[in-house]
Amino acid sequence: MTNQTISIAIFFVLGVGFWMIALAVSYLARPSKPTKFKETSYECGIEPSGSAWYQVHVRYYIYALLFVLFDVEVAFLYPWAVIFRRIDGGQMLLFSELAIFVLILVFGLVYAWRKGALEWE
Amino acid sequence: MTWADLPALYPMLIPAATAVLLLLTLTVRRDARLAAGVAMAGFIAGLLALAASAAELSHPVTMLLTVDRFAVVFWGILLFAGLLVSVFAVGYFRTLREPREEFYLLWLLAVVGAMVMAASAHFAAFFLGLELLSVSLYVLIAYPRMQSRAVEAGVKYLILAGASSAFVLFGMALTYAATGTLTFAELFTHLTLFPGDVLLLGGVVMILVGVGFKLALVPFHFWTPDVYEGAPLPVTAAVATVSKGAAFALLTRLLLGVIQAQPGHSTLAVIFTLLALASMIVGNLLALAQGNLKRLLAYSSIANMGYALTAFIAGGDAARVAIPYFFAGYIVAVLAAFGVMTQLSTPEHELQEVEDYRGLAWRYPWSAALLTVALLSLAGIPLTAGFLGKFFVLTAGMAAGRWTLVVTLVLTSGLGLYYYLRVITALYQAPLEGEQPTPPPLHLPHRLSVLTGLALAVLAALLLLLGVYPSPVLHLLAWP
Amino acid sequence: MILLALILIPLLGGLLAWWAERFGTRATRWVALVATVLQLGVAAGIWAVHPGGGQTWWLDYARPWIPQFGIGLHLALDGFSLLLVLLTGVIGVLSVAASWEGITVKVGFFHFNLLWTLAGITGIFLSFDLFLFYVCWEVMLVPLYFLIDVWGHEERHFAAKKFFIFTQTAGLFLLLGMLGLVLTVAARFHVLTFDYFTLMQHPLGLYPLARWLMLGFFLAFAVKLPAVPLHTWLPDAHTQAPVAGSVDLAGLVLKVGAYGLMRLTLPLFPEISRAFAPIALTLAVLGILYGAVLAFAQTDLKRLVAYTSISHMGFVLLGIFSFNTMAWLGVTIILLAHGLSTGALFIFVGILNDRVKTRDITRMGGLWARAPILGGLTLFFALAALGLPGLGTFVGELLVLQGTFLVQPLFAVLASLGFILSSIYALWMLQRVFFGPPAPHVEARDVKPHETAMLAAAIALTLWLGLYPQPMLDTARAGVAQMLSTPEGGTP
Repeated sequence: MTNQTISIAIFFVLGVGFWMIALAVSYLARPSKPTKFKETSYECGIEPSGSAWYQVHVRYYIYALLFVLFDVEVAFLYPWAVIFRRIDGGQMLLFSELAIFVLILVFGLVYAWRKGALEWE
Repeated sequence: MTWADLPALYPMLIPAATAVLLLLTLTVRRDARLAAGVAMAGFIAGLLALAASAAELSHPVTMLLTVDRFAVVFWGILLFAGLLVSVFAVGYFRTLREPREEFYLLWLLAVVGAMVMAASAHFAAFFLGLELLSVSLYVLIAYPRMQSRAVEAGVKYLILAGASSAFVLFGMALTYAATGTLTFAELFTHLTLFPGDVLLLGGVVMILVGVGFKLALVPFHFWTPDVYEGAPLPVTAAVATVSKGAAFALLTRLLLGVIQAQPGHSTLAVIFTLLALASMIVGNLLALAQGNLKRLLAYSSIANMGYALTAFIAGGDAARVAIPYFFAGYIVAVLAAFGVMTQLSTPEHELQEVEDYRGLAWRYPWSAALLTVALLSLAGIPLTAGFLGKFFVLTAGMAAGRWTLVVTLVLTSGLGLYYYLRVITALYQAPLEGEQPTPPPLHLPHRLSVLTGLALAVLAALLLLLGVYPSPVLHLLAWP
Repeated sequence: MILLALILIPLLGGLLAWWAERFGTRATRWVALVATVLQLGVAAGIWAVHPGGGQTWWLDYARPWIPQFGIGLHLALDGFSLLLVLLTGVIGVLSVAASWEGITVKVGFFHFNLLWTLAGITGIFLSFDLFLFYVCWEVMLVPLYFLIDVWGHEERHFAAKKFFIFTQTAGLFLLLGMLGLVLTVAARFHVLTFDYFTLMQHPLGLYPLARWLMLGFFLAFAVKLPAVPLHTWLPDAHTQAPVAGSVDLAGLVLKVGAYGLMRLTLPLFPEISRAFAPIALTLAVLGILYGAVLAFAQTDLKRLVAYTSISHMGFVLLGIFSFNTMAWLGVTIILLAHGLSTGALFIFVGILNDRVKTRDITRMGGLWARAPILGGLTLFFALAALGLPGLGTFVGELLVLQGTFLVQPLFAVLASLGFILSSIYALWMLQRVFFGPPAPHVEARDVKPHETAMLAAAIALTLWLGLYPQPMLDTARAGVAQMLSTPEGGTP
């Protein structure tokens, strides 16, 4: 057992212990007066009806995909920006690498646009 | 990575760039022939770049990839398969109502993924390649999306491949936990130093589940026949060739050194031996009962992966020759078989049953002859590529004293003959006078484009050339 | 170079014959006939130019092929091989002639397969590189499979598959044996080679693994021969094959098994083979008696002849494992005589089948009265097969028995019982087919001119073998002595 594993174990025990104690305390301390209204799924809102397994229109997925795409792009851009200045000499290569990456994504966007993925109808 | 590293990667970067180019082309003009042409040009340019980069051998490119002789040979095989599958797809998809252009786009990406796998030296590259290949294949398998069997096969593959990817990822995590590194070289060091490390072994076995899935080794083979049957024929050819070639190249990179360095009966060697035995026996036995040629070839491919594993387990210099050679022969034969089937089929009507091919030899003698040679090659009959592949595998296995594997290989090959012969028999069943009614005519007009004809001729030439004159390839594999 | 030509003639002839089909089937037949006659002529020419004598190796041709594995294109020829090549030529001509009218479907492809089978067999007799030997072995099998499968009789698909799987699996064991031998030699002597002569200079002796390797070499050839427990493919294949296929099978393919045992198994593993001899001899005697008894029980004419082959091949196995020159010379004569007489018998069966449309003996009968020439010729070959003095088989079997008696008297005595049985089945067959009450619906036509010609040639050769076998014995002697001697036997 190294120091690190011990500290992780302590962290784990504390973490688990915390929510158990919190739940136990609130269970013991709170008043319990159930009414019919309180037992519904949402106290404010409409009772859900029908099955949750229904089809969502495919166009939502396309938007979601495009969103994730650009989300990931940003996730790549941040670390790149952080180390950009720290690397000596390779700036040109580093820049062109990311330029190519962004360019490919742009091409993808153009393709999606032409394909009509951005039209709502 | 520096600018100097780039030329070694050209064979892979060119198809990748072609994919982007194709994307742009599609925004300007949608034309299936144009798309196919662009894709083929990409593959050909990749092959040319490969010939040029042969001078730059044994070249680690960043910590992720290694472009050595082995990678170059497998890249050549993969690019060649990529080119031929695109050729077959042109004729095959000609009747498809839905857009046909994206097929080539996805196919370029799949091949690039396979190439990354074949050259990877790091788990990150491995996973990147694996996912690029798999995700493209999900779509490709279900490409004729109005056909339920294709969609069924696609979904099946999606779920199982997704699960196996999860195994691989978990295995990588365990390996990382045990070693603190993700490079293959470090994994090798750790595995040879601590062969009993349970965490590490667990990780490696998890990764094996994923690789075994891609290779369809026996306990992980259940998807194979269904996906082979449901997928459109060019994609079936792709699954059988590119996907398996890449996975085996990766396996060789990852563990061949380890198997060699460890004593003969280490845990890993025993696991691999069991996988190989099971694949050879089960693959051949189940193929016996198949009436569907695609399923038959699926089981035959399972058995063939078992043969390849025999060389892998044997290790040594002999294996470094045997594995690429065996794969070259296997892939050429499979491409030839599926090529013949493809040019007689369309997405709406595939000739799948062995019965469909009854008497083919008397109507389309060249197609039947090529199919015969391809099947004989898969069966390992001399003067075909498959024989020399099997010969080198046997040599490797015997040099390492793996008698169980070698004898099983021989016995199951004998068993395998039966089903190959069944197909060949059907091909040559002549409508002899008054003995049998003439077989039903094939449903398709036989239109063989120049390109397809050329591709099939090249395959036939390669099947025979690799079976008769192996010296140039052996030279390429750095055998004296 | 001339050795390469011996193999290339039928190979190219086959391609040419297939191509010639576009000018009509006659063109194909003539091309095939010319190719086989040419091959026979070249072989006969070699024989004429080298008149016997003490020299063992007559011709030699070696080129590298896959140098990385020590594989070469090594062909050589001694008297023993030459005789078998001559037999190949004769049988080749006979089988082309025998299919002149019988084969009407896909004539081009048929002759292609026929000639390629012949090429493979010639290659086996000439190869002195183990790898090349194996390749030729397989080149012989695949076209033969097609011959049976496409042009055979009613049960052809089953018979073809059975034949192929039996011999192919056995062939893979041969391959294992070869690889094992080569790798063991490589490990012990650091010479990686498939060359026959080099391997002979590096004997393994009683090396533990060698026992298993020898078994691999024995198994493959025993299946081909066939020795008794491994014979079951033969009756089916013989029965279902077309006439030319049966002639090739009986005349040549069985000889390949004997050749392999004599050329490879025994010289490469002399000590182990001697230790193995009692088992082989037992199998041989079993084969002689079992084949003869089963021949007696057959009603299908082709099956009957097939079982007689098993019986005769028992004599061959007996002679081979007696390890003396006299027996081996006898084996050589049996191989030649059996090839001719059984080949001719199958041609008869073909002719009979052509006339009466059945191979069932019980439905024949009384043919003598209507086709006396045919009956007379059949009588001749049946007598030749059963070993009447003055005909080839007799000389061979006598030499084998004499040779065996010197070393293994018990086995020789048991084997001679085969003589009695063989006269019973041969006479019984003649009686059923040619005498007795005439069967209905029998076409009375006698032999045709081209049939007479080819049978006359076969008769002449059989008589030659029986009355004056000395030239053959002289030709074979040096080669046989070389194979029987210890590894110092000499290289070309």
